[in-house]
Amino acid sequence: MTKKIMIIDDDIDLVEVMRITLESAGFEVIDAQDSLKGLSILKTEQPDLLILDVMMNTQDEGFQLAYQLRASEATKDIPILMITAVGSQTGYAFDSSKDESFLPVDEFIEKPVNPDALIDAVKRNLTIA
Amino acid sequence: MPEIFPATFSFYTPRSLRRKTLWLINLRWIATIGMTILLILASKLIDGLPITNLIITVGILGSINLLYYLLTRFYAPNLLKSELMFVRIQIYFDLVLLSLLIHFTGGIQNPFYLFYIFHVIIACTIFEQKIDPYSITIFSVIVFSGMVYAESQLWLHHYDLFGSSISQLSVLISLGVFYITMFASAYLGVTLMKRHLKVKDIIHQKNLKLREAAEVKTKFFRFVSHELKSPIVAIQSAINVVLDLMGEELTPKTKDLLTRAKKRSVQMLNILKDLLDIMYDRQLVTGSPENVIPCDYLHEFIENERPHAEEKGINIVEEICAERGGLLVDKFLLDKIFSNLLSNAVRYTPKNGTITISTSVDSEFWSFTIKDTGIGISIVDQKHIFDEFYRTKNAKEHEAVGTGLGLSIVKNLVDKLNGEIVLRSELKKGASFTVKIPITNKM
Repeated sequence: MTKKIMIIDDDIDLVEVMRITLESAGFEVIDAQDSLKGLSILKTEQPDLLILDVMMNTQDEGFQLAYQLRASEATKDIPILMITAVGSQTGYAFDSSKDESFLPVDEFIEKPVNPDALIDAVKRNLTIA
Repeated sequence: MPEIFPATFSFYTPRSLRRKTLWLINLRWIATIGMTILLILASKLIDGLPITNLIITVGILGSINLLYYLLTRFYAPNLLKSELMFVRIQIYFDLVLLSLLIHFTGGIQNPFYLFYIFHVIIACTIFEQKIDPYSITIFSVIVFSGMVYAESQLWLHHYDLFGSSISQLSVLISLGVFYITMFASAYLGVTLMKRHLKVKDIIHQKNLKLREAAEVKTKFFRFVSHELKSPIVAIQSAINVVLDLMGEELTPKTKDLLTRAKKRSVQMLNILKDLLDIMYDRQLVTGSPENVIPCDYLHEFIENERPHAEEKGINIVEEICAERGGLLVDKFLLDKIFSNLLSNAVRYTPKNGTITISTSVDSEFWSFTIKDTGIGISIVDQKHIFDEFYRTKNAKEHEAVGTGLGLSIVKNLVDKLNGEIVLRSELKKGASFTVKIPITNKM
């Protein structure tokens, strides 16, 4: 069965880049431009994995959304990949294995997106789930 | 490091009061020595001087000063209250000793009673409130008047050193002038201090504003850098996808051009990261050392830059050694050093110019030189060329846009590699930058 990946990111070009990448690897892709739209789509659609941007309307909108999803019974098991340019920007690279209790996501991917790395990360987190 | 824009401001601290105490102690040493000399002179010139009393008084002054000194050595300044009290005790005791000295040397007849004024002025500079200077003035006036009155009533012995009898009127006039002088000094001292404090307060307020402005600036730069970063991230991501996923569909020429575009976007992203690094006041990020074959490395780099140079009609000449030995070096840093210098050379060399890249190896260094026939850097500018945000006038005329960060970053990175950078240049005749990397990095 085709796995469904949901992308929540306000940069439509980046969404498109990721969509092409993931579709070329045989995934189905749905997207939303902010957390509110993302949440409403999540009510009807059940993605197998979520790709989330950190900085959207606010500096940490992505984190806030991730906390919300982890707190809800319906969405708490969806793996979350967080894409971020924050690591290289602040010098504090995130590491989900170390910050698990603090950061409720499964893996971080650095921007700019590298197609192979993105596909690898998606596959890796789908099998764990 | 002292803060440029201090957030708090107070008139005195225990430490600043301690510095004042040390100052007073020094003044007191000078007074002790001065009085000893005067005493020796006066004993020769004036008969009837109570030498023993005077020696005792000066002795007390010297000993008590030693005591103060020892106290400052053994007790660190802690409480503001106790330091203030310490200074007060010193001044009042000084006034007592001064009064004794004046009493033994003729009382009202001795013009040295004007020395009381020094204490008033000192008090004005030390204390924040006007109460202390005025209390000290009143204390001095009462002690001195009391002494003069007691001497006139013969309750105290009057040491008549000058032989002339004094009229009551001249005593009254002297006292009157003394009072006026004392209170006028206190008033002037306190007023001047008040103005001084006002100026200090204005400076403090301005400092707070500057501090705020500096913070706003940092925020602004962070915002701008982020805004600049987002589009370039999107561009680079898109190119990555085209190259990686659709590579086979592309003609070699298209693929080559896209590869170049990608390299340039990587470069731009690195520049933005540098800018952010500097904004965040942090050390530049480093990678880990890896083995680099310098000649191959440079060749590859030059080939990437060549089309861009050729577009401008600039010829790049390689005089690269054939050394095959590897160099263990942080490639991330080397990349930045080389790309910054080479892109500078391309930017600041006019049409039909030449950029020559040569390398050499000796027992200590592996070095490369990038020499151009560009606009050059004057001797005066050479002193500042590695400063942050510095751009020479002719550089601005030649290329309007530039951050002035490139060479300061290069210098930083070369330092990080324990290397050296040498600049040789003459205005309008081109520049040559030689970067030497210690061979200890060699594998």
